[in-house]
Amino acid sequence: MIIRSLILRHGRLALPRYTPGRTLRRCYASQIEETYTNPDQDQQYVAGAEDATKSQVMTAISTQNSIASDDQVARDWEFFHHQKAVTGKIGSEVETHYRPHELLSNPPSPRDITLELLMASQSHIGHSTSLWHPANAKYIFGVRGEQDPIHIISLDVTAAHLRRACKVVSGVTERGGLVLFVGSREGQARAVVNAASMAQGCHLFTKWIPGTITNGQQILGKCKKKVVNHRDEEVKGFEDQLIQKAAVKPDLVVCLNPLENYVLLHECALNNIPTIGIVDTDVNPTWVTYPIPANDDSLRCVQVIAGVLGRAGQEGQALRREGALVGDYPPRQDHGLEPPNEVEKDGSKQDEAERGRTLLTAGDA
Amino acid sequence: MGRYDLAPQRVHTYATALLATKRLTTPPPWYDTITSIPPAERLTRPPLQRNQRSGGKKASRLFKPLRLQYEEDRLRWEYFNDHPWELARPRVVLENDGKDAEKWDWSVPLDHALRRPRSGGESEEGVKTDEEWDRIRRSQSRRPINGEAVIQRQSALQRTGVPRSTAYDIARHELYRLRHSQETEVRVAREEALATGAFFGPGPNEIGMKLEDKQYENWRRWAEKEIAGIKQLQGSAYTGQEAEAGAAGGDGSPEGRAEVEVVSQSVPGKRGGQEAKGGAGVHV
Repeated sequence: MIIRSLILRHGRLALPRYTPGRTLRRCYASQIEETYTNPDQDQQYVAGAEDATKSQVMTAISTQNSIASDDQVARDWEFFHHQKAVTGKIGSEVETHYRPHELLSNPPSPRDITLELLMASQSHIGHSTSLWHPANAKYIFGVRGEQDPIHIISLDVTAAHLRRACKVVSGVTERGGLVLFVGSREGQARAVVNAASMAQGCHLFTKWIPGTITNGQQILGKCKKKVVNHRDEEVKGFEDQLIQKAAVKPDLVVCLNPLENYVLLHECALNNIPTIGIVDTDVNPTWVTYPIPANDDSLRCVQVIAGVLGRAGQEGQALRREGALVGDYPPRQDHGLEPPNEVEKDGSKQDEAERGRTLLTAGDA
Repeated sequence: MGRYDLAPQRVHTYATALLATKRLTTPPPWYDTITSIPPAERLTRPPLQRNQRSGGKKASRLFKPLRLQYEEDRLRWEYFNDHPWELARPRVVLENDGKDAEKWDWSVPLDHALRRPRSGGESEEGVKTDEEWDRIRRSQSRRPINGEAVIQRQSALQRTGVPRSTAYDIARHELYRLRHSQETEVRVAREEALATGAFFGPGPNEIGMKLEDKQYENWRRWAEKEIAGIKQLQGSAYTGQEAEAGAAGGDGSPEGRAEVEVVSQSVPGKRGGQEAKGGAGVHV
């Protein structure tokens, strides 16, 4: 019911005349005083109801005195928000329900992992029993169906493995590791990009070019590279050394569809890189270091898992940044770089911690 | 093991060996984390079946996943055998937070919406029945009422001691009442709309008939071409010298010979080759 635009279209006399600077105590005898809220503030988070399964942040609504402006646009903007505040509570109360975009805009965190969340995300639905990989037998709760039976994945097993993977991601990011999130199926792009940006890692949502790690000099030789210190500030002086250098290999790879990316996982195994992957009932669980038995065909399940891992990476990065401010940072990584040939001040060489960071772009060939 | 590459599981061991032999100077960033969080065990097959009677089935079945069976499965089998078209009704399986099933109270009848008590009434204990009905409606109105609801209602009744067939009859009759009222509402609404000037587009049956007609026309055109092709092949069997044509002429009738003459001018075997006639040209 489009109340708001109707009122705007048919004139503003439907509401009491709005004068800036006057509180609306007269309009509501029984309700709390409505104050005009700043529209620029981040108000994405809704107050969690009793049945909310994720801890949601409530931002403080600051009270601001509305400014009387000569500009008509500014006054219209203010009036729109005043109207929204007045009429917002009218109508039925819509209780909290599943909104698909929230998994991308506000993903759950590792402490929100519950069996109910995993079941609602259809993560227990496996493939047909005739297509299974027998090594997954202990992750399977049972078989359901008479004509076309499918395997049902055990939710407690999924939850345990997912929590373990979250700990790994947060630990690796806390120590300055680079995490690569890979998800090449249709619809996984946004989840992958979100997770990578939260964990400050790299993402890939198109085909993995075989040899990107083993033949990195060739495939990623021309991509941009930079050296940063423990405070994430770029350090100059290494440009000529970086020209010939291959791209930095990731320290952890999270793969949302291992069945299509077995080449990537094999390259990681060859280069001793630990991997995390969503292992469905037809996937070989030995392909990844940390399997997460779940449904890789359900986009909701993949978004939950990617979101949770991204949040874990975010927490790790926050811890690392806090440590860097205090002076507690991980040891320098060995990338084979020589210190630049410049006259350095005493002690600055010791303070610097080199960490190579590159942008692994999938499109470069 | 033969086909399994366990290198992903041995990531930590390999890194430790590299560090020990000084191939690596500093441990990689993931080293400490993976030391404290080792990967899970792989490739083990614990027994999954429930306790078997000793000396019973063969051992290999013990390691296969369990076949899940519930009492409601038998009720579902009976219900959907009696009402096969219920399977054609779409069912929404989307969950909000995974706790949706806990909200529904199946001791409340399925046609509770139709059983509003007289307003102002009171039960024996002094409870206001109309307010009670309102209160129940507020939480239970979102229940999905479908075949699955019948089974759940039947289970709830059986748990209170009602025998199975009686519970089944009670539950399904509640569903019939509700469906009947819903269908009546829809029919009345349609009649009201038509009476007040609304018009409806073609219904699914009409659209289906139109699509079938279109496919039939496609088939008819294809069939005509096929018939033409077959006739051409049949006709080509009788061409060649006139004597041959006369002797081996299939019909022997004047029409048959006329057909043959028409076709004999354009057969692949002749020196002129076959001229393109399409399908219709061969028709006499």
